[in-house]
Amino acid sequence: MAELLLDSKIRFWVFLPLMAITFLVGIIKHYLFIFMSNDKIVEKQQLTDSQALLRSRLVRENGKYIPKESFMMRKNYFTNEETGFFVKQKRQNTVKNPMSDPGAMTEMLKGNFLNMIPMVVIGGWINWAYAGFLCTKVPFPLTFRFKPMLQKDVNLVSLDASWVSSASWYIINLFGLRSMYNLVLGENNAADQTKAMQDQMSGAALSMPDDISKAFKAENESLTITHHNWALKGVEQTFN
Amino acid sequence: MSLEDNQLTPETVNNWDDARKLLRNWRDGNIRMSKETLDLWTSLIAPSINKLGDEKWLVYEQVFLAALDCHVLTIAADCIAALKSQFPDSSRVKKLFGMHYEAIQGYDKAIDIYESILSGDETNAHVRKRIISCLKSQNKVKEYVSELNEYLKLFQADHEAWLELCDAYLNDMDFSKAAFCLEELILMYPHNHVYHQRYADIKYTQGNYDLAKSYYSYSLKLNPNNVRSLYGLLLTTANLKSSQKSKEGVDNAKLNAWAREQLDSKYQTVKADQNLMDSVNNLFQSLSISKAEKA
Amino acid sequence: MPSNVSKKDDFIPLSESAVRYNHFLLDYCQTSFSALSGCTAGILGLTGLYGFLFYFVVSIMTSLFMAIYLGNNTSKYFLSTQTLFTSTIWSGLQTYLLFWTFLYGMVHVY
Repeated sequence: MAELLLDSKIRFWVFLPLMAITFLVGIIKHYLFIFMSNDKIVEKQQLTDSQALLRSRLVRENGKYIPKESFMMRKNYFTNEETGFFVKQKRQNTVKNPMSDPGAMTEMLKGNFLNMIPMVVIGGWINWAYAGFLCTKVPFPLTFRFKPMLQKDVNLVSLDASWVSSASWYIINLFGLRSMYNLVLGENNAADQTKAMQDQMSGAALSMPDDISKAFKAENESLTITHHNWALKGVEQTFN
Repeated sequence: MSLEDNQLTPETVNNWDDARKLLRNWRDGNIRMSKETLDLWTSLIAPSINKLGDEKWLVYEQVFLAALDCHVLTIAADCIAALKSQFPDSSRVKKLFGMHYEAIQGYDKAIDIYESILSGDETNAHVRKRIISCLKSQNKVKEYVSELNEYLKLFQADHEAWLELCDAYLNDMDFSKAAFCLEELILMYPHNHVYHQRYADIKYTQGNYDLAKSYYSYSLKLNPNNVRSLYGLLLTTANLKSSQKSKEGVDNAKLNAWAREQLDSKYQTVKADQNLMDSVNNLFQSLSISKAEKA
Repeated sequence: MPSNVSKKDDFIPLSESAVRYNHFLLDYCQTSFSALSGCTAGILGLTGLYGFLFYFVVSIMTSLFMAIYLGNNTSKYFLSTQTLFTSTIWSGLQTYLLFWTFLYGMVHVY
């Protein structure tokens, strides 16, 4: 194992700042997201639809606790061929094409903007600013194939593949700090792109997928095939 | 000396920091201790309100609502004036204005304010609920029920609204509709024994003893200490065993006896005095259920 | 740690928020442990396979400690004992890698 000695200036000016930058950018992303999502105004129709979907899901999941007639009544309300809620709505809703609907488009742009662009921008800046030298050594042996990926500008054939450039240090940071965000910012933080958003708040704005009729159709089908299996059958026998 | 969060109670608070912490706990936990809030306000917070910084607007709102609850309109007026000067265009502050009018029974003015807020933002659930409660305070039952239904058409998954509607129908003695509302609640919280027991109550009132028996049993399964369910089970089985075929009659009699035992042991653990036990026994006798042993 | 309602015959009344909170706490412990063990590994100078082995050992030990702490009541707090062991291994690995590389770099390279 070739032991290279790196300049301690690298440590101060590259190693540590890169970690700090990644962390702080994540936190800024989170607060920016909160700031921008405050301006979200939900349409009445969207809200009604999302509430209806919520209720239909409850009927599907917990329908076994109510009597059969009630369950059938609700199922009928949602899925009847002529008057069912999901069926009727399908005819009224035009498909929300993301290109034509400005509201949804800004939403999508905002999401993309916030998640992808900082990563790309900072990655690019690092490649430009911190190029041409080694940053650190990863503690495990890597194969030869990783060399061009991890050692961007250092063209030494005999160099161990474990010595990596700043770009790869940035990537290690990016992945590793994801779970740290959970500690610092609590759950539901926007800095962690891999966590899916929770959506069980009733009465609050739900950001629906662009194609609501598709969601309705899916819900319709799953409700149609749900059978009623009364959970209370014979419950009184289970006593004494 | 600053106390821990769980030691904070209205009695132990005697300095500004603790008072602020306590108010914040109540705000976060949606706890509505209106009288204590006002006491804390007058004694500790109001003299140095500006120390709170940005939190003071939240505190103003909290104290305003507490003042309305206790009908101390002077404090309410102070708070709303402060809020209005800071946030002149806010719909949240406008809603508070509406609530002020509600408190002094100026319902028409209040409804006007609410409608103007709604015209700006149709999805504001809070304001809709305020309109509905205005109608309720004015005792306009028909409008109240129809508004609530309209609201529920929009917000199908709002469990408080379903609860309100259920109460409204029960007051009107419209049991089938009340049962429907309660079913919605059961769908949302299927493990809540209270909803099951209430549903069983309604079914019993409608005469559907079988269903009532099942739901009482289920509610007891979820919470064996629900005495009302025990009574419910007792009564349903008493009604059923007299009007059914012999085998099921035996099952019902067994359940009846079991419910009886459970009730007895409950009264015993509470060490009920003799008078209570006598009246309970008389009650059971009049229902032609076997006599209990003396406690 | 808030718990679920106790198991009944064929259905389990669950408190969703309790399950989520327990999972969050588990995540928290796991992340902290990964970070600390990463620091340790970096300082010790473990490389390659030893490093990864160390992580898995620590991770399993953490889960074991949790299981022992909970005693026989794991079903009261978590949906299954398997989640206790496996749910956070992957993200824990990334945190471990970060701190391992960081301290290894700080101590051995510079």
